[in-house]
Amino acid sequence: MNGYNFAYLDEQTKRMIRRALLKAVAIPGYQVPFGGREMPMPYGWGTGGVQVTASILGADDILKVIDQGADDTTNAVSIRHFFQRVAGVETTTATTAADVIQTRHRIPETPLRAGQILVFQVPIPEPLRFIEPSEQETRLMHALEEYGVMHVKLYEDIARYGHIATTYAYPVKVDERYVMDPSPIPKFDNPKLDGNPALMLFGAGREKRLYAIPPYTRVESLDFEDHPFEIQRWEHACALCGSDHSYLDEVITDDQGGRMFVCSDTDYCQSRRGEVA
Amino acid sequence: MAQRERVTTERMDRDAVSAAWPGLADPAHDSQRLFRQILGAMSEPGTLATLAVPAPPSDALGAALWGVVLTLCDLETRVWVAADLDSPALRQALAFHTGARITDDPASADFALLTHDAFDPQTPFAPGSDTYPDRATTLLVVVERLANAGPSMLSGPGIETIRALDIGDSPGCRALMDRLAANRASFPQGLDMIFGCGARLAAVPRSTRVRRADAKEVN
Ligand SMILES: [Zn+2]
Repeated sequence: MNGYNFAYLDEQTKRMIRRALLKAVAIPGYQVPFGGREMPMPYGWGTGGVQVTASILGADDILKVIDQGADDTTNAVSIRHFFQRVAGVETTTATTAADVIQTRHRIPETPLRAGQILVFQVPIPEPLRFIEPSEQETRLMHALEEYGVMHVKLYEDIARYGHIATTYAYPVKVDERYVMDPSPIPKFDNPKLDGNPALMLFGAGREKRLYAIPPYTRVESLDFEDHPFEIQRWEHACALCGSDHSYLDEVITDDQGGRMFVCSDTDYCQSRRGEVA
Repeated sequence: MAQRERVTTERMDRDAVSAAWPGLADPAHDSQRLFRQILGAMSEPGTLATLAVPAPPSDALGAALWGVVLTLCDLETRVWVAADLDSPALRQALAFHTGARITDDPASADFALLTHDAFDPQTPFAPGSDTYPDRATTLLVVVERLANAGPSMLSGPGIETIRALDIGDSPGCRALMDRLAANRASFPQGLDMIFGCGARLAAVPRSTRVRRADAKEVN
């Protein structure tokens, strides 16, 4: 593979993103602005995550790309093909075999190990944006740790529904300082953010922000003493592998209204079926 | 005729610089490999990495920190160089290999190159602001040694339980660790440091809690 524009981005852009990533790691949960570049794919297709992956990926890395837990969706396939083409890297669907995993909307069920890097695609990096549209104001709120509004939002849920209704992009506090949007992962995955041995990097392409959770970092989901944070649970086990502890998707099986629940993490489900068989 | 001669001399100077202060043989792949090591060091504070970089002619800087400079600096970065590392050769090499701008103002520096002997807690490096804490100077410091032993105990993000780091006993080394310990009180403002000793490297970002093994928590 020719070194020139390895992984699509020019060297100067990669250096700029790399410097920003070091700052992101040094200040866990803080959104570092970066001078993002236009990528050959539309926003919403994970341009922020793609730029992060392009800046860290090496020729010897093995890459996995998932979208909603699956390796075979259009978004995952197109990003995987993109990096095969521009970096010539080996790819895998096995979580355990991957050095770098780019993801949209899930954290793999298989526990990550030290040395792995998980890259999240982020549509809206600012957890306070729905309360305060001004970037200047949200920046000030982060500076002053003015996070009461987040609790007000969650409290309104409790007042209206009797429980916290937010089920994805559930806000977290990183290392007891910054409130952070974990990207639209289900809150089921929030506990995996806490003390994870892998490095987690977040890239927002449209808003040009990077942030990070270093390995073994304390990450708490916001909650109330009398309404503690809870993850989703299902009455069913996975119809394919029998797992009673993974995040399940409901799938329609026929036009008679038949349905079943299966693991959203396809690699996890397949490897479990492999072990059972 | 005179002009041609000048160009030739310049080229000879440039060749001399590149021979004495080696760049990366394969810039795209070498810088990626080095960056991952630096990222790993910053993500897991106090862990030691050995960088495969051709050593610069000056022992004072060391291969690891020269590798950091080659990996992270370019014409968008400002570098402050302490007097004890400064030389026309280093300035030429920085300009030749990275295009980085040298600044005399520590507060405007993205990176500062110094030795532990030259560290002065009063030097006004940029700690960033509460709204833009990323606008801070990263210190690249030559230290006496790097070992995972006492007396400094690190904890916080990137550290599962606790990690010992020894950068040396000199007054400068002690002052560096004291400065890192003080980061917690001003967080998110603060100074991140990358230490080099020969080809070895370790990093301690501002998120790290630092205390001396023989003392109570500094903050
Ligand atoms: Zn399953």
